[in-house]
This record gives sequence, structure tokens and C-alpha cells, in this order.
Amino acid sequence: MEKILEIKDLGIRFKTDDGIVNAVNGVTLELKKGEVLGLVGETGAGKTTTALAIMRLIQIPPGEIYQGSILFEGREILDMSDKEMQQIRGDKISMIFQDPMTSLNPVRTVGEQIAEVIRLHQKVSAAEAMRKACEMLEMVGIPAERSGEYPHQFSGGMKQRVIIAIALACRPDLLIADEPTTALDVTIQAQVMDLMENLKKEFGTSMILITHDLGVVAEICDKVAIIYAGEILEYGTLEEIYNHTAHPYTQGLFDSVPDLDEDVRRLKPIDGLMPDPTDLPSGCKFAPRCARCTEQCRTMHPDMTVLNGNHGVRCFAALNREG
Amino acid sequence: MLRYTGKRLLQMVFVLLGVSFIIFCLMEITPGDPARQILGPDASEEAVLAMREELRLDDPFAVRYISYIAGVLHGDFGTSYTTKEPVIHELFARYPTTVLFAVLTVLIASLIGIPLGIISATKQYSWVDSLSTSFAMLGVSIPTFWLGLMLMLLFAVKLEWLPATGFYGPIYWILPAITVGLPASAGIIRMTRSSMLEVVRLDYIRTARAKGQTERKIIYGHALENAMIPVITVVGITFGQSLGGQIVTEQVFAVPGLGKLMVEAINSRNYPVVEGGVLLIAFAYCVINLLVDIIYAYLDPRIKSQYSSSVKKRMKKEAAVHEGES
Amino acid sequence: MKGNHKRSRLLGIWKRFSRSKTAMLGLAVLCIFILLAVFAPLIAPYGYDEQNLREAYQGISMRHLLGTDNLGRDTLSRLIWGSRISLVVGLLAVAIGAAVGGLIGSFAAFYGGRIDSVLMRVVDIMMAIPSMVLAIAICAALGPGLVNTMIAVGFSSVPTYARVVRSAVLTIRQQEYIEAAGAIGSGNWRTIAKHIIPNSLAPIIVQASLGVGNAIQSAASMSFLGLGIQPPTPEWGAMLSTGRQFIRDYPMMVVAPGICIMLVISSLNLLGDGLRDALDPRMKR
Repeated sequence: MEKILEIKDLGIRFKTDDGIVNAVNGVTLELKKGEVLGLVGETGAGKTTTALAIMRLIQIPPGEIYQGSILFEGREILDMSDKEMQQIRGDKISMIFQDPMTSLNPVRTVGEQIAEVIRLHQKVSAAEAMRKACEMLEMVGIPAERSGEYPHQFSGGMKQRVIIAIALACRPDLLIADEPTTALDVTIQAQVMDLMENLKKEFGTSMILITHDLGVVAEICDKVAIIYAGEILEYGTLEEIYNHTAHPYTQGLFDSVPDLDEDVRRLKPIDGLMPDPTDLPSGCKFAPRCARCTEQCRTMHPDMTVLNGNHGVRCFAALNREG
Repeated sequence: MLRYTGKRLLQMVFVLLGVSFIIFCLMEITPGDPARQILGPDASEEAVLAMREELRLDDPFAVRYISYIAGVLHGDFGTSYTTKEPVIHELFARYPTTVLFAVLTVLIASLIGIPLGIISATKQYSWVDSLSTSFAMLGVSIPTFWLGLMLMLLFAVKLEWLPATGFYGPIYWILPAITVGLPASAGIIRMTRSSMLEVVRLDYIRTARAKGQTERKIIYGHALENAMIPVITVVGITFGQSLGGQIVTEQVFAVPGLGKLMVEAINSRNYPVVEGGVLLIAFAYCVINLLVDIIYAYLDPRIKSQYSSSVKKRMKKEAAVHEGES
Repeated sequence: MKGNHKRSRLLGIWKRFSRSKTAMLGLAVLCIFILLAVFAPLIAPYGYDEQNLREAYQGISMRHLLGTDNLGRDTLSRLIWGSRISLVVGLLAVAIGAAVGGLIGSFAAFYGGRIDSVLMRVVDIMMAIPSMVLAIAICAALGPGLVNTMIAVGFSSVPTYARVVRSAVLTIRQQEYIEAAGAIGSGNWRTIAKHIIPNSLAPIIVQASLGVGNAIQSAASMSFLGLGIQPPTPEWGAMLSTGRQFIRDYPMMVVAPGICIMLVISSLNLLGDGLRDALDPRMKR
């Protein structure tokens, strides 16, 4: 299958008052057409920064993309002009943002906000764009009559659906969903996930699903990448990650999720905190929290090693075990 | 919206009553006998007593206050002690000047303040930004009367381009209007800048970028329409305050407006004029505030639905229905 | 432990504050004026009402660095003495306004309900009268003079402080630790003193630092109108008022006091802005 997105050795840092924040440190990822990739990590791991870099929405300054490349359908996104990028955003690549409460312009009607993206990328009249916007609303399960209402008149779940409608209005080839369900309550989470699964089935949209919820990943993703302190620690197919977990951090993530099948009395949260992004450890970034940490882990930085097929891991302990 | 306006108008009546009471009390404790002021130091004791009788200055406080309010309700604001003219004539003779002055002030302040604020925010940390923020800092720090004197010194005394005092035609308006307009623009620059800077960091601006909207339309569309909402308030407040008369500037340039009248009236213990003037100023201030709030509601749909209770009820009903669904 | 925490917080504020060049500039200028005010008798070459009619209307010279006024008094000396008046008037007026307004605002916010609406209506009424008109009316009622000017200017700023404090207290009241304090049975007064006042100080400090500038300006305006501080007190506004008659021929009598007023007010504004950014890092941009 054709690759739609290829990220190679991406590095992003931010200059702040407290020092240089190393947000993304050499992320390599790829996504084939029609695939759904789950990008899993804790808050602050660099998930959103990576996603914003694909959209070229990192504020520069204070941000800086100091290394790497992002190829979209074989073209270098980082070298595109602003105009080229504007043509891609919202049309070829769309993004669903984390917080639906603040992601809509409060003084424009939801209809206008959906129609805006349609008019930007398709040669249609204002009336036609509005008609299409209404169709999109219906598609995400909001009655078209409400297109003339303002965001504050909608609940959080409905706002998220409006945002999804904006993201899908131009049938993007790649959809990036940044924790699309985090801000929503459980019942609405399920509705939004259903919507995304339909997209995958009906349109074959390629997706990057950013989340910290492994349950959500299992539901919809084909591939998984585990990101920690701006680095991919493990990647592979859903099956490889879930059944042949190689990295201690991934294992830790699984252990901290309640499992309904087993009667585990106590969850095992991972000890410690994510390292300070202004002062990262020199060896393995997970070493300070790792139960299987050795002297080697503290001093040397492990490379990404392919175990078999597509399954890669960045860990000395896992390699030694594999033998 | 209508109900809200009605409620506000009712509140306004109470505010005006309160204002008149405060001023009445202040005038009550102010030393100096208006009768003596009118008749001059050479008048006989009997003449002063007769005058006090005529002005009913010896009636109890409550009686005078109530009869004043009763008069106001009938449109009678009393008679000026000094000119013997009805107060309302005195006020309306001066008011057009003050309104004109206020309009000029707000025009100058907004025409300078809003564009500079926007440029300053969009080109943060550029030389234009540092220039306009320093200008704004000077503007809020400079005493108006001194700025007036300096402008007068430069343009009227040294260069002799403009007349120093009076208010007889457009050429006379320039110096006073700039004197008040420049410092007022400082507040507008600061508000526009900070409001813009705040808005451009918000999530919905990022959404607009993610749609592929051009930077120009994001700044002058999405960002500006939201950032202008608080700026409108500042402009409104500036206008409301200017309608109160520019007390000091009118004094500097001998502009025959409300502010000058008020100072004269307070100095000469001309109580009916003080009372009437303050009431007029407070009334104008309240009306402008109400107008600003109404404009606000039309610019910001969130506020509008807060005002109109019917929409609110419908929203609640719908929310309940949706919760039932899920 | 607690003291340490407090100190590190103060240190953090100072660190953020000192990083702003403009705020430090403001602080430096203000310090110069404070030093001038404190050591006026030592620094000023002449007394503030030392008249010498033979040396009236002089321009800039070595004897009189900023010239003399219509009565032959040394302008520089009067300005130095005047910094005492202006700073004291500004500080005390703000103290009056902040104390009365703060009390009204915190009462309104803390007790809420009917007390809140009555107090806030009174504040609304005061807001409807332009502060300058109110100050002049109060000054007329009390009579001119230094103390009365401070009271008039202070009282005319009461509504602003009442509003600022009310909204600050309301925000804090909603936070959980106040509820917790209520739960462990602190009386209302104790809660106000121990929790609400310390935590609502930041907006009050910011408002006050900007307010001193405003108060100085209002006081100067009143003196300029002849209502406030009376000659021969070397108040800058009063000096301007006198100098105004001679603006055509002796502009220095008007220029110099105005620059002093402007310098003090802008230093206070820079300081206030810096404090706001330092106390509330979220506001910083």
C-alpha cells in the first residue's frame, strides 16, 4: 500500500523563559493509505506537538523545527510555502482538536463555520456551501435547522461533532484526531468513536488518533506507536503491541488500565513522573522510572530496533530478552 | 432584549435618584451662603435674609429635596441663582458644545487607537509595537491640562498656526480635541492590543488556521470580530466620560461647555445648576452604558442569549431533551 | 516551612518583575523621586518659598538651573519640595480609596445577597458621577487644602476599588479552600482576614500602583483649577496653574512641573504594569 505520511527524525523545541523545552526528539512514523494509527502517550509526551507539526501549526517562534522531515503523499510539508500549506489544510489534511468548548468561534454560527472551510477549498457559491454545511451537520447527527445557531447554544458533545463536521467537510485524505473524546462524557465518547469508525469503513480515511486511552486504540486502530518524552518507544501493529508487548513503558501503560476480564484488585500505576522536557536524561528517557533499568540504560541512549516485521522497540532490556 | 432594556431603564431611575441625593447632601454641607454669593459682600443683612427666604434656603433638607425631585419630575430643574434663567436653558446652551467636543474626542481616540492597537498586536515586539506601546504609556501618564498647555504653547504661541482659546469653529476645535483625544487613544491602544493578543492565542483561531484560512482573513476576520468586543466598551466609556464635560481642558482652552459651567457653578454655590448638571451628566453616562451593553449583545451572541430569557428557557428545555436522549 | 514557601513565592515574583526592563526603569525613576522627596531639605538649593523679587522671571542659569518664577523663587527647589507633596497626596489618596472601596467590595462579595446588591447599587450611583466632578464637589464641601484634596481624590476612586476588590474576592470565594475554612469552623472575620485578604491582594496592589498615578494627576488637576492645594505650597499642579499666566514669555514655569508630573506618573504606570505581569504570570505576553 502507498504511504500517505512519512515522518522522519522530527525534532521540535520551544524557547521559553524556563529554558529550552525539547518537545519532540527524533520522531519517526509512517502511515499507509487507509490505515489508522494510534499515537499513545501521557500528557506532555509530544503527541499534540507532532500533530500540529504535520499541519504546520507550530508557532514559530517560540517553536522551532530543528531537524527531520514530514512527507505527505511524497511531498515535503516543511518546505511548502504558506500558500501551498493553506491549500492542504482543511482539504487534504484535517485536524480534530482536543477541546471542543473553545475550538469554535463564538460569534459565528456553526453553519457559517462549516461553510467557511468548504468555500475555501471548493469553487462553490455561498448558498451552495451553506447547503453542504447543513448536509455535514446531518451527517454528524445534528439537525440541519440548527445551522443558524451559535456554538454556545450547543452541548460539548455537539460542539465536538461540529468540529468533526468541519474537519470532514472536504473529505480529507488524512485526519488527525487529537484526543477527540477526552473532554466529553462517557456516553458521548462512544458516539464520537462510532462516528470515527464509520469514517474509516465508509471512506477509507487515513487517520492518526492521538490518545492516552489504550481502550480507544484497541477499538479502531490498525497500528500503534507509543510516545514518551518526545520519542517513539515502541511501534507495531495492534496485535504486536497488545500481545507481544516489548517495552517496559508499554507494559506499564497496560498495567495501569483496569481490565474487565481479569479480576485484578489493584491497578499498578507507573512510578514517578515524565522527565522535565527542559532537562532530559542522557540515556534512555524512561530509565528513571523503569523497573528493569541497568547501568547501560542510564548512560546510553537505545536505538530503535526492529524485532520482526513492523514491530520496533527502543529498549536494551527488551533486546537482551529477545536475544 | 426588550425586557432587559426595560429593567435597565428602571435601574437608571434609581441611579439618578441616588446621584441627585448624593449631590444634594454634598451641597448641603458645603460652606458658603448662596444668598451672600449672589448679593455680594456689600449687601445688607436684611437683603441676604430676604434672598434666603426667596430661595427657600431655610426650609428643612427633606422638604427642599422632595420639592426639587417633584420639580424635576415635571421637567423643572429650578432657576440659576446667578443668571435667573431656568437651569435647563443654561444646560442646553452649553450641552451641544460638550457633545461636539465628545464626538471629536472619541473620533480622534478611536481613529488613532484601534489601528495602532491592531498593528501593535499583529507585529508584536516590532518597532511599530514598541513605538505605539510607548506612545500609549505616555498617553496614560500625561496630565491632560499640561498636554493642552504644551500644544497651546507650540501651535498657538510659538508657531501661531492655531488659535489658543475659544470654540467658535473647526479651527478652534483642533487643539482641545487633540488634547483630550490623544490620552484617550492610549487606553484604546492598550485595550485593542491586549484583546487582540489574547484572542489570537485562542483555540478557534487555530481551528481557522487548520481550515486553511489565509492569515489575513484570520486576523481581520475571526480575531478582530472577537477582539473588538471589549474595545467597544472602552470606546463607549470614553464617550460617556467625555459627555460629562472635559472639566480641565475646557478651562484651559476656554471652551464654553458643561465642564466649565460645572466648575463655575460649584465655585459660586449655584446649587440648582450643579444639581441639574450632574443629573444631566449622570443621565448621559447611564444612557451610553446601556447603549454599549445593547451593542455588545448584538456583537456577542453569548451575551444576547443571556439577556433574553425566552432563549434561555428554550436552551434549558433542549439541553434537558438531549440529556434524555443520551 | 510556611515562611519559606512565602519567601520563595516573593522571590519568584521579584525574579519575574526584575526581568522586565520597563518595570525596572519605572522603579528606578520612582526611587529617584522618593529620594528627592525624603532628602528635599538637603538637596534643594533654596527653600520652597524663598522669595527674591530681584531675581524673578529668570531663565536657565548656573544659579537657578531651571530658572525662577514670578516671585523669584527657584523652580528646581520648588519642584524638589513638590515631589513630597505629590507623592504623599498620591499615596494617601489611594490608601483612602483602597481602604474604603476595599471594605465595601469585600463586604459585598463576602456576604452576597441583599448586602451585595445594596452596596453595589451605591457604587453604581457613584460611578455615574464623573470622578472629577465628584472630587470637585467634595473639595468644595470640605474646602480647599492638602488634606481635603487627598480625601476628595481618594473618595472619588472608591467605586473603582470596590469593584476590583469585589470581583477578586468573588473569584477567591468560589475556590475550595474557603469552603474548607468554612467547614472547619473559622468565623467569617477569620476567613476574611486569613484567607480572602491575602489571596485577593494581587489585583488590589496592581490597581493601587496604577491608582497612585491617577491620584497624583487628579490632585494636580484640582490644584490647577484653583480648588485643591493652595499656593505657596509647591504642588506641581498649583505651580502649573501659576505658570500658565506667564506661558507666553516664561514657558519653563509650565514645562518643568508638567515633566515632573509625567515622569512620576509614567514610572508608576510602568511599575504597575510590571507588577501585574509578575503577580499574574498568566497575563504576561
